[in-house]
Amino acid sequence: MDNNKAIKKEQKVFMTGNEAVAWGALAAGAEIMYGYPITPQNQIMHTWARLLPQFGRKFLQTEDEISAGFTTIGGVLTGKRAFTATAGPGHVIMQDAMSMAEMMRLPVVFIIQQRGGPSTATVIYSQSELVLTTHGGNGEGMRIVYSTSSHQELFDYTIKAFNTAWKYRYPTFVLGDGYQAEMRESLTIYDPEARGIKMVPAEPYVGADGVPGKDREPLQLRNTYNTEEELYEVMSGNIKNFKKITPEILEWQSIEAEDAEILIVAHGIISRASHGAVNNLRAKGIKAGLFRPITVQPFPDEALRKAAEGKKIVIIPESAFEQLATKVKRGMYGMNVPLDAFSMPGIGITSEEIEERVIQVHEKQMVRK
Amino acid sequence: MLSKIILAGEGGQGVQTIAQILADAAVAENKEVCYIPNFGVEQRGGVSIAFVQIGDEPVSFPKFIKGDIVIALSCRAVERTEQYVGKNTVFVYDSTSNCNSPQAQAKAVKGIPALNVANSELTPRVFNMIILGAVLGATNVVKIESVEGVIDQKLGKKFEKDPGLRELNVKALRRGMEMVA
Repeated sequence: MDNNKAIKKEQKVFMTGNEAVAWGALAAGAEIMYGYPITPQNQIMHTWARLLPQFGRKFLQTEDEISAGFTTIGGVLTGKRAFTATAGPGHVIMQDAMSMAEMMRLPVVFIIQQRGGPSTATVIYSQSELVLTTHGGNGEGMRIVYSTSSHQELFDYTIKAFNTAWKYRYPTFVLGDGYQAEMRESLTIYDPEARGIKMVPAEPYVGADGVPGKDREPLQLRNTYNTEEELYEVMSGNIKNFKKITPEILEWQSIEAEDAEILIVAHGIISRASHGAVNNLRAKGIKAGLFRPITVQPFPDEALRKAAEGKKIVIIPESAFEQLATKVKRGMYGMNVPLDAFSMPGIGITSEEIEERVIQVHEKQMVRK
Repeated sequence: MLSKIILAGEGGQGVQTIAQILADAAVAENKEVCYIPNFGVEQRGGVSIAFVQIGDEPVSFPKFIKGDIVIALSCRAVERTEQYVGKNTVFVYDSTSNCNSPQAQAKAVKGIPALNVANSELTPRVFNMIILGAVLGATNVVKIESVEGVIDQKLGKKFEKDPGLRELNVKALRRGMEMVA
């Protein structure tokens, strides 16, 4: 692996988010990408395919996303750090493989660059794949999902996703969007080891050394069960373990939330627009703050409750219809704090628009006083 | 100080190329930059728009409601970009193409005969350099030397073969700057 280290020296670069993901996967020592083209993730594939001869990596373009999902599982079963990337309708049909990874607890890394939905809709942007990413498929959401908001995070969390996946053995997702995919901004790319990040080794499931039952536990890879009880037992174990590791996995950001009267809760790129809004509102003397879940599955309920405690109102801007708002509602169940879902499905929300919404809500609150 | 810039034109007019050069020049000056092209399902044709933001602080969101400067290079681009024109916007459009002048309330509206100048004084190929010059002239957002640096990097090999080409590009940049002065 050492000979084909992708990044020898830390450097500041100006690139698209898709390129940042490809470099992140290279830096993480990902060995193979499987994929099928779909906008806006194409450039991840293009960049990976362009760079792989230089660094001795592999790429397989499959016939569709169903195949891309299952071949990635195949790569993982042979002990490779494998990943795929998709979006929109491709993401929908990849859910079958994602469910299988969930059932078998396989460390598959999926990169999602959300586009407009439902169906083909736009190739541009939305946050409408939030619930699909956290709870798509016929499973129970035994997945780990990081929602990024910048190119630096796309790079950092792509590396992290491989470690989380191989450490905890649940499918792990990096949830980006078309804006993050296509825009260009600066970031620093680095070799994780040089920063003291140890990569969790990948190991084969099939064809492992030793005689099963004698030298090692026999391997049972199942996605089919004969009885309800059998399935219930396996799922109960998976859920129990997921709950146990949840505190180690949860990540969130709380910005000026403590003394805030109005709390904005946003994820992904909209959290970044919200941060801009908070700065502008504070300059105008309005006490606004931001809570941003970075892991959207599992969801940081406790931290959210703490941040929302005693607030006059919680505003939830998102480029989807009440997908994040539903998660927030669930997390805040029983709290005496009103919620305002600011849903703009399929379209970006600027700092100015969030600022305006907060001001409107703030004025209403003043009148009520 | 954050500058919000919109460049819009017909596919093939080089809008994204000059946005990229502008962004690279700002990065070379160690500024915070966010640049996003609009993109749709069409393979060609349609109005191409570039959103570029340049400032000292990290940019909060790739798109914005009103631009500080909006440059539209075709009649359709004028129509498409009017929504981004506000009372603090300098709106620049190519007057050669004889569009209906934009109705939006702007701080200033400037028609520049960029296409005419490219065709008659220089060469049609440097039309986009004239436009880039106009952006520099209207915003002072990056130094012309930084832009020259980026062009040298990108087209260095071509310039070696034909030194006149570099001169032509720089001339077009300067001519564009003059037009909005």
